[in-house]
Amino acid sequence: MSHVVAGNSPAASEKGRPKGSPTPWRPKKQKKNKPAIPGLRSLNGKWGYLFIAPFVIMFLIFGLAPVTYSTYVAFFNWDPLGGQTFIGFDNFTYLLQDDVFWQSIGNTFDIWFWSTFPQMVLSIGLAAVLRNRFLKGKTFWRTVLLVPNITSVLAVAIIFGQLFGRDYGMVNYVLGWFGIPHIDFVEQALPGHIAIAAMITWRWFGYNALIFLASMLAIPDELYESASLDGAGSWKQFRYVTLPGIRNTITFVLIVGTIGGLQVFAEPLTLGGTTTGGDSHQFSTLTLYLYDQAFVAGHWGYGAAIGIMITIIVLIISGINFLLTRQIAGGDSE
Amino acid sequence: MKLKKIAAGIALAALTFGVGVTAPGAANATTKTITIWTFGDVIEPNLILEYKKIHPDIQLTIKKSDLAAMNGTDMVAACTSHTGPDIVAVEVSYSGKWRSYPRCFTDLKTMRTSAANADATNGTDKNGHAVKVSYVDATGKTVLVGTVPAGQSATTIKPNYLSWRWAQGVGHDGSVIGIPTDVGGLEVLYRTDLMVKAGLITAAQSKNGTGRDILGKSWPTWDKFIAQGQKYMSKLSAADKKKGVGFMDNAGAIFAAMLQQGTTKYYNDNGTDSGTIFGVNPKTKKKEPLYSWNPNIKAAWDTTIKATKAGIGTKTAQFSPDWPVGMNTGKFAAILAPAWMMDYVKQQAPLTSGKWDVADLPGGGGNQGGTQLGITSYSNMKQDAWDFLAWYLAPEQQLQVFRTYGLFPSTKSIYNDASVTGFVDPFFNNAPVGKIYSQGILKLKPIFEGELNPAIDLAFGGGLTRVAAGKMTSAKSWAQVMKDLATATRGAN
Repeated sequence: MSHVVAGNSPAASEKGRPKGSPTPWRPKKQKKNKPAIPGLRSLNGKWGYLFIAPFVIMFLIFGLAPVTYSTYVAFFNWDPLGGQTFIGFDNFTYLLQDDVFWQSIGNTFDIWFWSTFPQMVLSIGLAAVLRNRFLKGKTFWRTVLLVPNITSVLAVAIIFGQLFGRDYGMVNYVLGWFGIPHIDFVEQALPGHIAIAAMITWRWFGYNALIFLASMLAIPDELYESASLDGAGSWKQFRYVTLPGIRNTITFVLIVGTIGGLQVFAEPLTLGGTTTGGDSHQFSTLTLYLYDQAFVAGHWGYGAAIGIMITIIVLIISGINFLLTRQIAGGDSE
Repeated sequence: MKLKKIAAGIALAALTFGVGVTAPGAANATTKTITIWTFGDVIEPNLILEYKKIHPDIQLTIKKSDLAAMNGTDMVAACTSHTGPDIVAVEVSYSGKWRSYPRCFTDLKTMRTSAANADATNGTDKNGHAVKVSYVDATGKTVLVGTVPAGQSATTIKPNYLSWRWAQGVGHDGSVIGIPTDVGGLEVLYRTDLMVKAGLITAAQSKNGTGRDILGKSWPTWDKFIAQGQKYMSKLSAADKKKGVGFMDNAGAIFAAMLQQGTTKYYNDNGTDSGTIFGVNPKTKKKEPLYSWNPNIKAAWDTTIKATKAGIGTKTAQFSPDWPVGMNTGKFAAILAPAWMMDYVKQQAPLTSGKWDVADLPGGGGNQGGTQLGITSYSNMKQDAWDFLAWYLAPEQQLQVFRTYGLFPSTKSIYNDASVTGFVDPFFNNAPVGKIYSQGILKLKPIFEGELNPAIDLAFGGGLTRVAAGKMTSAKSWAQVMKDLATATRGAN
């Protein structure tokens, strides 16, 4: 095969292949990407479009079109069933002075904090346990971890709402053993945030543990072996072998978690029972406030403006994440 | 325009995924499908079965979903895209909103019933007069099935219904967009055993049924109600007090109850489609939003704060996870409850059967909730839908729903019927619930329900909760409500 190709090439035939020469022969002009079925050659490069078409089409319909449309709506005083009046940037200027909007941003990040970092520790710890080669029933444990994730978010929120009940909730019952007075998770800001973070953690810690586990399994065993030969105990192995090995995965989970964290909606809605996010908006999140303004208060244009602001915030955070990832990736290649 | 269509398409697509609308059944070409969007217990399954027996050619597809989403987003999407249900249930707090958009509904004054519900096999006598037929329901009771003569429109059936309740289904262009299925009413549900324990009534009075009158008469006004609550609290043991036991579930409920007893709330009826949130403040002589100066609102606020400060409520939010537990454990002795809530109490606290009773609401009559059924303007099944509605909402059928679910009939024509006045419920200590609720309901006057009612209710509710939680003083929280409402109602007429 390669001989034929080489023969077609004038350069190859001129110089030929010196027999018995120690220098390995290299074809000068080998055809790249020769298709397995010759007839498909003309379509080469175009099949790709077909394969990505389902995603692109869905994205255009359910991603780009609504975003474009809400950007348009954001400049209007918009009543979907009545009139629409163009008001320029009024929605945005109003938004910047809206206390509840800023409060919702604060709440969103606070909930994000409480749901991300404890969860990270939990997931990595769990993955480290599951990595243990002497663990019995590995497949079972790995499957079980996904169960909270495939449970409907609403079901989780309802059950947790009961666990965090003020008078008869199990959490308060257990806290009572230690003499802690009942906490009203719906009324107070920080307990509310923690309750919501607990729901998010419950749904995602198993899923993230699996991602960490996959990443840990990719770390060569030799590293652990040499570490143990050097006298490193299991904690030191974890600290100096496992953690550096999963650094990129931590960043990945952080990014995905942040994007998810900015979209927290069902949990605060179910916890408080209303779209206001508690009596003083103490756990109103960005998306919940969007929903409240557009769908309950009927300020559709204003809701769209909040949506635009969420997009801008996500873009900023993605930018920071991007820089951070690049730095970490660069550090790894050295 | 194009964008609008795209948006409608997207909204519809979202809706289809969201609530799982089924396509009309293609199984039988002669079967006509009527799609109904509803929530809770509005549509009574036994009656639906009965209707199917009378009309084998009609397929009723019922989609139950969350009220707030269905009456909010889903219906907006359906109306903009002109694709959706044939019949839709609208709850009273959303009726103000939908009355502003009569173009989403068929004017039921223009509809006429066909002969479908008055045919010979189902109760028309030789002279063509409708007769009543009966059937035996699942519990073994004989139920009358009303027949509806041909040619009935919303105008001809209107006299059957409570006038103020009927008005909630009338768009301000005069079109009838919904026929009331039920009326909430509002009375006091109380635990007899706990009232006896606190000495508000005696055991004998509880047993012979005079207790409910004595209690009702002891609180003709809300102030007296609070005083009775304080009396109850003073009789509690130290251990109970420590556990947070109270007289009523949530003192915040007084606000809505009192507000409904007046004639104006958040809106003035100015003869336009949407009404107005503005009115001339008698103090400043200026046009200001009603929520800021309407004396009814301030009075309801002050009384609620008074009750909160008196500590008679347990601060348990209605429909929170703690609420049904409280019903069972006796954490509170009284609930301000509309008729439809009786069924909820029965389901959630079955072991307390017989320990409950019903007394008159302070301040004379009340209302909370109620639903109406309307036909969408874009329905292809208007005639069959109207035939069904006129039948389903006829007094006889409403009576059956009342018996099954406690939804109180909106047809005042049967309030004096022995089947209502004589209806007693053993769960509620054999109280004549039909009589008590109907008397309270008849005392009410119409109130204009406006588009932003749900949002304004939320703001006031939040304000009262803040005071109850001790986060703010009454004055400070009121100021915050005013601020929130300025945001919520900006741009409103």
